[in-house]
Amino acid sequence: MANLSIPSIRERLFNTSKHETTTQRNSSNPFAASSFKGNVLTADVFESSAKKNDQPSFTGKLKASALVGSISGIGEKFQNMINSVVSFGHRMKDSVVNSWNKLNGIEISFTPAKEKAVSIYNSVKDALGTSVTDLISSGVSAKSVAKMDDMTAARQLMADSVAAWEAAV
Amino acid sequence: MVDKKIVKNVTSIIEGLGKNENPETISILEDVGTNSKIDAIREMTSRALVKKNMHDSLKVVITNKGKGINDMSTVVAMSTINELLSLDDKSEAMKILEDTVEMHSDEEVRDNARSVKALMALS
Repeated sequence: MANLSIPSIRERLFNTSKHETTTQRNSSNPFAASSFKGNVLTADVFESSAKKNDQPSFTGKLKASALVGSISGIGEKFQNMINSVVSFGHRMKDSVVNSWNKLNGIEISFTPAKEKAVSIYNSVKDALGTSVTDLISSGVSAKSVAKMDDMTAARQLMADSVAAWEAAV
Repeated sequence: MVDKKIVKNVTSIIEGLGKNENPETISILEDVGTNSKIDAIREMTSRALVKKNMHDSLKVVITNKGKGINDMSTVVAMSTINELLSLDDKSEAMKILEDTVEMHSDEEVRDNARSVKALMALS
């Protein structure tokens, strides 16, 4: 008669190699291949026990081992995720750099493309009311004048600009 | 033909002075802008002074002969009147117009002020 106490069952479950030879086997069990390495439980281990002390305890090496295993598994998953993100970033960077190099290497010789580029430039110019070059070269903005504290400089700026306009007429 | 850059600079300076809250900007606009021989500069300056909606700035374009609503150029005068009509708060402008109608020494200025006051009362 097998020992059916909880500790003994726990011993069988988690130290299978030790009891491998003495454990009863039943080949008709459909879960034999995957459950408990072929060991078949001969009693209901989930039957409620009156004594709390009989509950299997997962302290010690077993718990630590399970914990370490799960942590290392998570770490591996994270490592894989990070690796995939990093490789994606590298691919994007390479793609952008290659595209830039290709663009620099291409000379637009196709006439419609040239016309389109000129058209876009003119559209921007019209929309802004002045050429981009003028906008960049222009040093005075309404915003900067609105924040000026030096009124002498502001007066001089206004006088010079008005004089320049009057001289051009 | 005037360089676009010069026009843009003057426009930006007048616009900036109009937004600048320093009271001295009013005298800059009055001295340099409203005395310019260029109509467009006088027009922009008058409008900037009206937009300030301050007693001293409104006084420049209402009570001075040859400036603002009394400018020799119809375009400048009409543009100034239009700007006055567009003000959200017309109380200060109305007060100056009333004082001008009642007390100004020049008849033409008084008549102009009376006309603009009537327009503003209707708007």
